[in-house]
Amino acid sequence: MNDVESPLTIFIVDDEPPARNRIKDLLADCSEQMPLQLVGEAGNGYEALDKLSGVQVDVVLVDIRMPQMDGIELARHLNKLPTPPAIIFTTAYDVYAIQAFELHAIDYLLKPIRIGRLLDALTRTRSAVPLRGEKLQELTPEPRKNIAIHERGKIHLIPIEQVMYLRAELKYVTLRTVEREYLVEETLGALEKEFAIRFIRIHRNCLVAKDEIVGFEKIVDEKSGDSYWAVNLKKLNETLPISRRQQFIVKEFG
Amino acid sequence: MPNVQSINQNTLSDALPDFRNWGVMLRSLLLVNGMVLLVAIAQATSWQDIVARMLGLSALLQPVLLLNLSLLFMLNPWLERLTYKKGTAVVLLLAMTVTLMVYHLGGKLSLYTIVHGNFYSGRNALLGSVIAGLLLVYFRFRVRVLSPAVDAARLQALQARIRPHFLFNSINAVLGIVRADPKRAETALEDMADLFRMAMAQDDDLVTVRQEVALARQYLALEQLRLGERLKVNWYTENMPDDALLPPLVLQPLLENAVYHGIEPLAKDGFVDIKLYRNGNEMHLEVYNPRQEQGGHHVGNKMALSNIRERLALQFDVEASYKVEIGKDFYRVHIKLPYVQEIPKPFFFA
Repeated sequence: MNDVESPLTIFIVDDEPPARNRIKDLLADCSEQMPLQLVGEAGNGYEALDKLSGVQVDVVLVDIRMPQMDGIELARHLNKLPTPPAIIFTTAYDVYAIQAFELHAIDYLLKPIRIGRLLDALTRTRSAVPLRGEKLQELTPEPRKNIAIHERGKIHLIPIEQVMYLRAELKYVTLRTVEREYLVEETLGALEKEFAIRFIRIHRNCLVAKDEIVGFEKIVDEKSGDSYWAVNLKKLNETLPISRRQQFIVKEFG
Repeated sequence: MPNVQSINQNTLSDALPDFRNWGVMLRSLLLVNGMVLLVAIAQATSWQDIVARMLGLSALLQPVLLLNLSLLFMLNPWLERLTYKKGTAVVLLLAMTVTLMVYHLGGKLSLYTIVHGNFYSGRNALLGSVIAGLLLVYFRFRVRVLSPAVDAARLQALQARIRPHFLFNSINAVLGIVRADPKRAETALEDMADLFRMAMAQDDDLVTVRQEVALARQYLALEQLRLGERLKVNWYTENMPDDALLPPLVLQPLLENAVYHGIEPLAKDGFVDIKLYRNGNEMHLEVYNPRQEQGGHHVGNKMALSNIRERLALQFDVEASYKVEIGKDFYRVHIKLPYVQEIPKPFFFA
């Protein structure tokens, strides 16, 4: 934990340069009243994740509406960092997001931001409990565009289109792209719920990208003589077994 | 001022329809013939009889209708200067006179058999003016339907013209540069004031395309302040007649849409192309912007766009058109309206 004397380290993410400028001006004003230090800024979510992996900051001010990756998705990825920063959302006008924040009692700042509000929010972060991933997911009906993988202190973003399948194995969920496998620290159930449009459950432990299914084949187990259906994938030479309960998929896909 | 009526959206001004508008003429022809067809059907005794009756009625009706419409076409500039009440009286009187004239003249040329007695003359004169009256009621009703007259609708229209997203982001952007570049902040605030003055203007008198372009440029300057290099604009105005008139705030909401849906969700920079040109008696406006298949803003500004559509329909009827082309990676709006020239004000009005 920070002791009270050490300056609060702050990072700004906003796609509009004047908006970042405004926050910098305000932080300069705030620094007269509380010790703080601006450690960096970014114009989009990818840049922010890049600059923030491996660096520890106390607070990230995140604009909600940004191209490519919105603020809520960025917050979810930042949550994967070993020591996740406190996040304060900023928005000029976003009826939907504001309703969601009010509902979940999440702190946000309306732009133009007033110095008093900013000071309050920064002070609160000292004692704040980090937001939970599930809570952030409830903020938006939109699925993420990427899945964040935490590896050796760095965050890798895997675009959701590159995911062939997700398979639960003992403790972790394995995510398979054409190149390699990754370990995901999320449950299969939550992933299925969020990405229902893209994936289909073929087995108790497996979700497959619908677009990647190229066909089905019947496989006979040589030892037991039992036969079962399996999915053939477009870009991988692998077969994934379909459980008895999910066999209707074969018919549905025709 | 021919063709330049005030279409006040807030307080309804009653005005005669523009008798030189193709839409008005077409609607009149269709409605009157429709009424005649109904009468023919009502009187007919067999299917063939409908046609016969229709032809019989048309012999008197079509000349009256066409003559009336041509006279109204000619009298239009003069009619526009009258009050609504006087104008209505003139139109009804004209319909009555023309009906009587054609009826009696036709009788002389033995096109119709004039049955002696004042009843037929009186009946035709009465029917002529009643039909003209019904048409006027229809046109007035149409204006009412197309004008958002109720307070709620007016408020909606106002909100649609000024997107809160734009308002708060712009104020924030100005605050962001006010310390570093006070001069630029001043210009930005002046641009905002002009934009909001226009958006809140009470009347909807036509403005010149020159004014509309100036306003659009001010708007784009504000967006460029926020978005910087991400927003690139191409203007194609070589064939634009400076003096063409159009309803206010037609171009700016289109650009706001282009920036909001086309540029803001874009990762890299993007172009908004604006083409303004005249083609014979038509004035064309085209706005082109990139479009993202996914991940764009979902909540559209349908209100502002339907507002433009309604105002164009109200002002120009069928002579204006509004087309949208949605491509895989682009979005294009094409507006066509009649080329109406600004009438230079006589010097004693200046």
